[in-house]
Amino acid sequence: MNPISDTFFRQMVSRAIRRDYLENVTGFALLFLQPLMLLAIYTFVFTTIFKARVAGDSSIAFVPYLAVAFWPWTAFSESVLRASGSIRSNAALIGKVAIPAEAIPLSTVTAAFLMNMAGYLAVLLVMQLLGTPLNVPGLLAALPLLLMMFLFSCALALFLSALQVFLRDVGKILPPLMTFWFFATPILYSSSVLPERAAVLMKFNPMAWYVERLRDFILFGNFELSARDLAVPVLTLLLLWAAHRFFKRVSSHFEDFL
Amino acid sequence: MEPLVRVQNVSKIYPRVHRPGERLKAFAALLAGKPTVSGAEVLHDVSLEVQPGESFGIIGENGAGKSTLLKILTGVISPSSGHVSVNGRVAALLELGAGFQPDFSGIDNIRMKAALLGMSARRLDRKMDEILAFADIGDYVYEPVKHYSSGMIVRLGFAVVAASEPELLITDEVLAVGDESFQKKCIRWIERFLEDGNTLLMVSHSMYQVQKLCQRAIWLHGGKAKMHGEVFPVTQSYLAWHEEKNAAERRQRRSLKGESGQYRVESLQIEGWPDDGTALLPSGSSLKAELVLKSPDGRPPVALIGVMRADGTPVYGVASDYDQVQPLALAGDSYRFVIHFDQLPLLPGTYSLRGHAMDPEGIRLFDTAEIRFSVGGKSREMGMVQLPHRWE
Repeated sequence: MNPISDTFFRQMVSRAIRRDYLENVTGFALLFLQPLMLLAIYTFVFTTIFKARVAGDSSIAFVPYLAVAFWPWTAFSESVLRASGSIRSNAALIGKVAIPAEAIPLSTVTAAFLMNMAGYLAVLLVMQLLGTPLNVPGLLAALPLLLMMFLFSCALALFLSALQVFLRDVGKILPPLMTFWFFATPILYSSSVLPERAAVLMKFNPMAWYVERLRDFILFGNFELSARDLAVPVLTLLLLWAAHRFFKRVSSHFEDFL
Repeated sequence: MEPLVRVQNVSKIYPRVHRPGERLKAFAALLAGKPTVSGAEVLHDVSLEVQPGESFGIIGENGAGKSTLLKILTGVISPSSGHVSVNGRVAALLELGAGFQPDFSGIDNIRMKAALLGMSARRLDRKMDEILAFADIGDYVYEPVKHYSSGMIVRLGFAVVAASEPELLITDEVLAVGDESFQKKCIRWIERFLEDGNTLLMVSHSMYQVQKLCQRAIWLHGGKAKMHGEVFPVTQSYLAWHEEKNAAERRQRRSLKGESGQYRVESLQIEGWPDDGTALLPSGSSLKAELVLKSPDGRPPVALIGVMRADGTPVYGVASDYDQVQPLALAGDSYRFVIHFDQLPLLPGTYSLRGHAMDPEGIRLFDTAEIRFSVGGKSREMGMVQLPHRWE
């Protein structure tokens, strides 16, 4: 199968953006509306009902604390969930024209990231204007972090989209698992409030590292490095390599199972 | 010269994946790297080569594996075993509207298809006017493709393919959808495409089209290559096989209502050939046949001799009493008729010669014998017989 050409991939991404985001009545506005609504709900629940505070640091309000982690998480979970079903929903394309199949999940992830990062940028801007000071070098340092997170999403998307062709159950199991992963990641809380045993488990959650480092960089200006800062990117790249190999290995058989 | 397309011993087996257990088993086999062995085998050990500048036809019944072979050639699916290599810029027109997104406009779909064919955005911009002119569907290009007629979809698809300037065009009977004028446009385009030294690989049910456009052909039957080679022998054998199949069905339907009886055919022969159906006459040669009838009552019977196409369509028949011919009486109440067809005007194909025994009054038909024979040669004339003609 041909390698993905630039033109083709751009077409696929713009197609995915229009299909997934701009087809709705609210269109482009939904992009900001949906995460804002969720953010508002969580804010209400955690500041009004549970009276949650940011543990250990009272200088930061809860809403910016949540928002900095929430948008990247949405980009991640949305892209993985959408991409995992993308091969099956594009079955008509795969069975009829010769296309590099990996373009389908990868363009879905790219579209979700582009859209959510646009929303992220807008939210960060709003926060800065409303008086939460953002760390400017931290924002720049966040870029490679977000890129790594994008690659992490690509890895999962490649693996899960291929797997779902063969095991349809994946599509059913994944959404609740993703919800669990959301609560198992320090987005609504800080991992410092966790009991010790849970905090150890958190070390095995790459998404925990991603969101905590994002907060460190953007909100706290904390650039101290540890061994994990090397481990997670390396793991991400290894995962991407393995997922790509798996995808390549099985993709020529998609048509037999779709 | 390096062949443009090379298919070596390709087989395709679709694994059984309908029940969850079967899916799991097939998936496990795939991960273990084991070849698929159980399932529906749609292609078995097919090999072919297509040289640059050649055009090649794939023929066969529905379900013979033609489309699967094309899908393997274009990389849509991969073979279960065997090897395929295709060099050069390939453009394929397989199923109607394949790869089109129904909700998107014609223009958007042109962009997508062009990108799939490897055209850069800049080259597409240069070619866009040409594509729109070729497709000739007016303002419909701004409408979603789901509102298109099937003809319009084909127009759009072909226009993009034409603009992508392929070296190898692979088509699967899609041209049959367009209207008369568009079909003509496509044929003209394909002819120019071939004149420029490009290569065509086509599936068609129109033997006329295959003979007109292709030099070589493969006949697939039940997933296997039944015949492979020069286009004329392959297409003629295919047509003959079809005719025979139809005739066999018809023969079965016909009950045995012929009166077994008195006037019988003793023998029917084409001179110079055994009577096992292998007789092969060059087009335009002469045919001499001998029919021997047996009479129960010493009165000479009437002979009816006819030529039919292999499917039973009569070409010509004549009775001895019509021509007022008397047979030669042989010993034992047998009568011998000999008929000559000089310069037989039959076109290449498979035919049969039938001899009937009738009563002396030429009214009732008693017995029938039949010999198959073939007329060879290369001709793109159509029909069964060559009518004498001249052009002015």
